[in-house]
Amino acid sequence: MTTSAVATATTVAEILAGVLDEPAAALREQPILAAHDWDSITSLEALAHLEAHFDMSLDLTAFNAARTVDDLTALVHEHRNHPTGD
Amino acid sequence: MRAGSVPSRQTLLESTDPVLSRKAGRQLRKLPADPELRPVTVAVLATCTVGPYRDLLTSALVGAGMWPSIDEGAYGSFEMTLASGRFTTGGEPDLVSLLMDESFFLPADWSPAAVPALAAYVEGRLHTLRELIAAGLAGTAATVVLHTVPLPAQVRDGLISLRDRAAVAQLWAGLNAGLLDLAREHPQVVTADLAGLLADAPFAARDDRLHRYADLPYTDGALLLLAGEVRRAAQARAGLSRKVLALDLDNTLWGGVLGETGADGIELGGLYPGNAYRQLQLSIRRLREQGVILVLASKNDAALVDEVLVGHPEMVLGADAFAVRAVNWKAKAGNLRAAAESLGLSTESMVFLDDSPFERGHVAAELPGTVVLDPSGDPAHLVRTVLRTGWFDVLDLTRTDRERPQLYRARALRSDFSTGFGSSSDYLTALGLRLAPAAVTGYTVARAAQLAARTNQFNLTGERFDGATTTAMSTSPDHLVATFEVSDRFGDEGVVGAVWVHRDGGRWRVLNLVLSCRVLGRGIDLAIAGWLARQARAAGATRLEASYVASKKNGVAAGFWSAAGFAADARPGSFVLDLTTEPGDLPGWITLRERSDA
Repeated sequence: MTTSAVATATTVAEILAGVLDEPAAALREQPILAAHDWDSITSLEALAHLEAHFDMSLDLTAFNAARTVDDLTALVHEHRNHPTGD
Repeated sequence: MRAGSVPSRQTLLESTDPVLSRKAGRQLRKLPADPELRPVTVAVLATCTVGPYRDLLTSALVGAGMWPSIDEGAYGSFEMTLASGRFTTGGEPDLVSLLMDESFFLPADWSPAAVPALAAYVEGRLHTLRELIAAGLAGTAATVVLHTVPLPAQVRDGLISLRDRAAVAQLWAGLNAGLLDLAREHPQVVTADLAGLLADAPFAARDDRLHRYADLPYTDGALLLLAGEVRRAAQARAGLSRKVLALDLDNTLWGGVLGETGADGIELGGLYPGNAYRQLQLSIRRLREQGVILVLASKNDAALVDEVLVGHPEMVLGADAFAVRAVNWKAKAGNLRAAAESLGLSTESMVFLDDSPFERGHVAAELPGTVVLDPSGDPAHLVRTVLRTGWFDVLDLTRTDRERPQLYRARALRSDFSTGFGSSSDYLTALGLRLAPAAVTGYTVARAAQLAARTNQFNLTGERFDGATTTAMSTSPDHLVATFEVSDRFGDEGVVGAVWVHRDGGRWRVLNLVLSCRVLGRGIDLAIAGWLARQARAAGATRLEASYVASKKNGVAAGFWSAAGFAADARPGSFVLDLTTEPGDLPGWITLRERSDA
């Protein structure tokens, strides 16, 4: 993983931890989002927070399809490298 | 704030970052109620998903010194709840916030070939809303906050004829005019111009993804704007708005440093940046005309400042604009404290504007209740810095509001006058105090409600009767609501006190008595008690009952009922005056002038 990818992964995990009100370590131990308090409200707060932080607009269908922290990290990373121009 | 990770109240209040506000609101909702903040109950009724609005509203209200309990109406129950007037599952809310989108006003589908039919439909829905609000208001004293609705791009851009597009924009402007008109029609309604605010904000009104996915018609940014408007209404209703604007001079009211450039070298008026300072002064003058008291707090040579105040042709705020001028080399915190004292106000009623980080930091540290504003940066933003948060908002302007700057200027002069007398009774006699009690009228209801909301020190029971309740009591044979005007040789103080009384045959009970702190210490309170006893006795009452409910701020009134001749009753905090004998004399230095039968 590149330095940039590691930094993105760390930031995504921190944002998700903040939204879920859990330590980042808890997400590392259990990366499946559904195992946490991940409902439509928290997921949309995470979306708003990620988009504001990374200054991007994600595809909501792809965002909703993400099941784990790694899935979301990959989505953000992918968008940073290949923005869709949304 | 007890949670370490929650930003300061002023940060929450001034936040333009929806991510920060939403996160703070979510954290705040997990905390127990903060007893130092004013409790406020808000019902949210929505034509769509409430979603993040609740957290954003929590954050904004806490920022203004309120602790909200927010009751969210069930999804899809907007019309039914509004019509029923039962807005919460518990007691009566203080505010009802309506969150509305175009789905309420538009048909599911419409024909671009029939714009007049669309106009008729929208008008019909506005009529329905008007009726629902009238029905809802019948059963509540809550303030209902609604908002204008932006015209969706999908509707506007769905018309390819420019003429039809203009016609639809016109019908939508008519809808929003109707929503704004509801505030004129009902004193309990406040309409926030969300559509107008969005035109001047860095937020999109809508995120189409969230609209389609979760029925969220507004972005978090748009909801933050709306939460700010509801906060302003709640703040004004609760009497938490500020009364005093304290101003620095150099690089604040004008550009440059007077001591360095001289009066003719300061930047004021003309082209940029002088025009920005002149615009700030014009805006501040308009605040003054609406009752905001101005204080000058400048480390400067007083003679040089006078030269500018009197002689500079572009100076809008002359010497008379300021109730207190503290132009000296002393610490500003001390000057503000002294200014507050001479005005009979608290430093918590002040907003302080100064370009110096040192002065701002010192005042913030010494006077934590004073709002400190930072005018540094481009002077073009000065007006926005002062106005955008709505520090001075009130629900309605009263005559007293408009006259307040002059009243307080007279009060500051009165402080000087008082130094030449041997005793306070000599001084009070020389003041020529006049007290005019009158039954509350349509003209004074707003002022009585404002006094109930804003008076903390001489507030006997803490019952904050609002305009609707006061109006209802004023027409009820079982109640008496009276207001009290005070004047003296320096001028008319206006309505400074109010009393709410329950009349039950021979037994009258004072529900609350409030008196503005600016007239305390003159015996006005005792004269009011004496007047009330005479009114009750003349009406055949044999007992006048009253109570004192202690709060953090009303210690000044703790001994009032005893001082007024009432005997302590068996229940703690309860007092009674026997009216079978003649009440004691009124203070000799006060002349009673009854304006009408109360």
